[in-house]
Amino acid sequence: MATIAFLLNGAPHQCEVSPNTSILTLLREHLALTGTKEGCASGDCGACTVAIGEQNADTHTFTSANACITPAHQLQGRHLVTIEGLAKEGRLHPAQEAMIECHGSQCGFCTPGIVMSLFTLHNDLTQRPAPLTPERLEAALGGNLCRCTGYRPIRDAALRMNDMPYERPQWQDAALSTSENDAEITDPTAKTPFFAQPLSLAALTRLRQEAPQARLVAGGTDLWLESTQRLASLDQLIDVSRVAELLTVEATTFEGQPGWWIGAGVTYTQLEPLFEEHFPAFAHLLHRLGSQQIRNRGTLGGNIANASPIGDTPPVLLALGARVELASVKGSRCLALENFFLDYKQTAMAADEVVSRIFIPQAIERSQLRVWKLSKRREDDISAVLGAFSYRIEQGVLHDVRIAFGGMAATPKRAQAAEATLEGSAITADAFRAAQRSLDEDFQPMSDVRGSQHYRQQAAKNLFERLYLSLSAPDREVMLHAYAH
Amino acid sequence: MRFDSPAEQNVSDRMKVLGQPLRRIDGPLKTTGMAPYAYERHGVAKDQLVGYPVGSAIAKGRIVSMDIDEAQASPGVVGIVTTLEMERLPKVDWNVAYLFGGREIQHYHQAIAVVVANSFEEARAAAALIRVEYEEDQDATYDLAAVRQERLSDDVEPIDNIGDFESAYASAEVTLDATYTTPGQCHAQMEPHATIAQWDGDHLTLWTSNQMIEWSRQALATTFDLPAENFRLDSPYIGGGFGVKLFLRADAVMAALAARKVGRAVKLALPRPMSANNTTHRGLTIQRIRIGASQEGKITAIGHDNATNTLPGGDGENGARATRRFYAGENRLLINRALEIHLPESNAMRAPGETAGLMALEIAMDEMAEKLGMDPVEFRIINDTQVDPSHPERQFSERHFIECLQRGAEVFNWASRNKAPGSRREGAWLIGHGVAGAYRDAPAETSGARVSVRPDGSIRVETDMTDIGTGSYTIIAQTAAEMMGVSLEVVNVDLGDSRHPVSAGSGGQWGAASSTAGVYAACLALRKKIAERLAVDPEALEFSEGYVRYNDQQTALSELASAGSITAEDSIEFGDFRSEEYQLATFGAHFVEVAVHATTGEIRVRRMLAVCDAGRILNPMTARSQVIGAMTMGVGAALMESLAVDTRHGFFVNHDLAGYEVPVHADIPEQQVIFLEGEDPYSTPLKAKGVGELGICGVSAAVANAVYNATGARVRDYPITLDKFLDRLPEIA
Repeated sequence: MATIAFLLNGAPHQCEVSPNTSILTLLREHLALTGTKEGCASGDCGACTVAIGEQNADTHTFTSANACITPAHQLQGRHLVTIEGLAKEGRLHPAQEAMIECHGSQCGFCTPGIVMSLFTLHNDLTQRPAPLTPERLEAALGGNLCRCTGYRPIRDAALRMNDMPYERPQWQDAALSTSENDAEITDPTAKTPFFAQPLSLAALTRLRQEAPQARLVAGGTDLWLESTQRLASLDQLIDVSRVAELLTVEATTFEGQPGWWIGAGVTYTQLEPLFEEHFPAFAHLLHRLGSQQIRNRGTLGGNIANASPIGDTPPVLLALGARVELASVKGSRCLALENFFLDYKQTAMAADEVVSRIFIPQAIERSQLRVWKLSKRREDDISAVLGAFSYRIEQGVLHDVRIAFGGMAATPKRAQAAEATLEGSAITADAFRAAQRSLDEDFQPMSDVRGSQHYRQQAAKNLFERLYLSLSAPDREVMLHAYAH
Repeated sequence: MRFDSPAEQNVSDRMKVLGQPLRRIDGPLKTTGMAPYAYERHGVAKDQLVGYPVGSAIAKGRIVSMDIDEAQASPGVVGIVTTLEMERLPKVDWNVAYLFGGREIQHYHQAIAVVVANSFEEARAAAALIRVEYEEDQDATYDLAAVRQERLSDDVEPIDNIGDFESAYASAEVTLDATYTTPGQCHAQMEPHATIAQWDGDHLTLWTSNQMIEWSRQALATTFDLPAENFRLDSPYIGGGFGVKLFLRADAVMAALAARKVGRAVKLALPRPMSANNTTHRGLTIQRIRIGASQEGKITAIGHDNATNTLPGGDGENGARATRRFYAGENRLLINRALEIHLPESNAMRAPGETAGLMALEIAMDEMAEKLGMDPVEFRIINDTQVDPSHPERQFSERHFIECLQRGAEVFNWASRNKAPGSRREGAWLIGHGVAGAYRDAPAETSGARVSVRPDGSIRVETDMTDIGTGSYTIIAQTAAEMMGVSLEVVNVDLGDSRHPVSAGSGGQWGAASSTAGVYAACLALRKKIAERLAVDPEALEFSEGYVRYNDQQTALSELASAGSITAEDSIEFGDFRSEEYQLATFGAHFVEVAVHATTGEIRVRRMLAVCDAGRILNPMTARSQVIGAMTMGVGAALMESLAVDTRHGFFVNHDLAGYEVPVHADIPEQQVIFLEGEDPYSTPLKAKGVGELGICGVSAAVANAVYNATGARVRDYPITLDKFLDRLPEIA
């Protein structure tokens, strides 16, 4: 047991819970705040959405999170806002008022989560006024499933709430506890549960060496499913989300290449502005990665260290020639990302190492990046196949071709035979047909509910067709947006 | 009171509160997180322990042994109940699969044990330590297509065999013979099944999530072999049901068994990954439809042969039902082959039968219209019938299907639709339009309520009716407000408690019509009681603005009740004329526009319109919400929803919300709903019928027809995913 000190709906709160406690369990079972619901315990439905606030100048910035897969201990020094906190003295928050007015609730079970997503959107709009575009609405609500209402009334509520008068109450920005919970672990080798929250890389690597059996947690968006879906007990945890060195993005030069060192603990949401500017195709992919709740929590480092063959960012990073830095008490080493993934969920990371940073080289002149994610559903879904293509065209000839796929092998993997086929080729139908054929050398995918072997192989080949069409007739390229209407 | 003849002019016709688009009265509770759902009712019973269920890891066979020693010794464990401790528990006929007890395994994830511990984590950890040895039956079958093929020559008693179908079909001028398949579908309601159970001697209270309180009370009586009076169920808020919470389910039985064993209150929720295989699903179907018609488009023969999966004793998803009463045609052969397949229990899901049936029939109608060279709207109009084709002596009480089609065509601008499949492009998108008809019966069930005027002048309504998101709280309050002449704000509605009068419950699209009729009856009884007190003829009383007015006098309701609440209770019972002399049903027409990407085949629904004929609409806001929600579920059924069957091991693979995909925000466009003005006096005193199931009927086929219209590629195998027609998209010019 360890103490967590945080703000709960504007009031300081302290409690002791075991390391494997999620925010949802903390709320529903320990604090008897049952407004936050459990629909799936896997971050898919959003019924458990809460807002987590952090200091930003004089105010708190709130982001949405799935309480079911977020460790309660990560609340230390933060502000947790739940559905119970929004209405004060009988006055409903505009998100609540609008949901009633627009009839956005039927059975009501998803409603608290939706109201909380709307609350973070509302908060965002008041802090950074900008038009509520369909894309922004879609992003804000994409992580909330509803089986009753048909969604449009909820969308109407999102639009309506902004016309309602609102004065930001003081409690929203109450003073945050500054105490950090960097407790020493007395005997990390013992079976005693702990939730360690190191603040520096040195402290992190030391813990990693002392307790290699402990699990590392960043956003928890995948790790926590081991607890809720596979019944594993996660009682020794090292939280990487406060390690200063892991939270920075640094523009620099590495091995002669300009680029960015991105801390392993940087979330997808935090990466969006950088990618929007330098890798629009990557940013576009981020919009389709998980849901807003997941993007607010999930990290680039976690997506890599997790080594899932269907993680969304690794194929793109492989295509971009990213490097991964591994740190331990002995120092750090750097390797090309393709050398990091060894086999299904197996990596080159030693037991005493952590993924500390990722280097993404800046795109060199005239190079292009294309990323296509194929999933059954438009949002809140996992890839069946994800293809990333990086190349440079000089006088009609392809150079520096790097292609990688997710969902096609036991790891995210480069399509080296296809790359070799295209390297130095002119953009012709024949060249791309040859590349499609080489793909059979590169991959023998498996069948599962997300796609059959045949579909995966065919769809991956079709992405070459798509690339060819987009290069041979650039004005015909279509990027699908959610609203084709 | 009995409803023995069509309703005449009555108090409810005032329509001051009824019929108004009023916000749901439970809205504030739901948007502030204050509405209590089953699993979180910490206050109702002291010292609640937590139960965690264990499901069978095989689909068919028996348990040889269970080793619970390690689990028993696990920290925090208070008790374990295993299925081997008891004989198979009896069940009522509504349930197809047995819920608990004995060695026999009927389906994957059948409940076989429940571990009770001080905390959820302890119960879950211990549950993982139970070791089970099984003996698997080698003769189990999980493949509907294979079993259907083997048993096609079986002699099955038809649902309808009217005229001479085979001859009429053989001699028809234009014919269609096509086979359609629909997959298993999961209710995927947002709230998982959950129950808190507490025994007091041989009396049991269950705080649970259940659509049909009385049915489940009766089922408990059978299962636990105790009088029904010994059971109390309380289910005030239900996080969605769609049929999966119609019957007693394993969560309630396990919680009750566990609570009995440990002598304390136990709460238990079915984890989401257990829901699909432990509970029920909409059965899979393979439907062969044959239609014969004259050149002019008159249907002369219609055959619908439905095959579906069921465990022994069930009907599965009877798609042929949909064809019984929808279209004219003198020669009819309708068959349901409920085939024993050892998948989990197929049972009711929103509009059971019609949903899957119309997914097929309404594509067939589209195909037939094309063969005839007719507008599919016109083809349906030509084949409308005002009598039940299976019993031509019975009229439909009200049937305005033609009007639904015509009104829809006008509003949707059907005339300007794409007429040649695969021919309309807008940029990268192929545009298509589809239409389908909707049909669903409008049954009614006995329904009771207790209504009081309280000393403060407020009205309280008590009934065991449930609100599964449908809006029961609101329309019941509206009914009482209308009948007692008060404003909605002073009506207090208490639902879902078995201590209240027995209602119709929420199912089969009968809930709204029946339960409001029950409240109407109770209000009439209360008005009569008040009249007796005042010694006035009840007919002479007028209730308005919180007053009773009679003979130039008026008395406030609060004054009448100042010495204590005045309470009356009654129930409405529906006479045979309603079901035997007339056929009552609801009708609709769905119009859909889709865009299909010309190169990738990605499908986007662009606009949807439903026109509904469902009698008097009690609250246009809640009714519309029902219909658009159902249309959304229909889009899911058309484009993505499918339980993937593992035919080797007999279970649904995608048993969570990550794998079983339902529509999300970005999938759903603007939806328009039009309710035809009208009343059905044959239905209830309020002249209302249900809409909650009508809304899903036919939607998926309208989407399917629109995809065909956009691409020229017909898909008869739901869901319509792009891999099924990618190779048939039109050549890109």
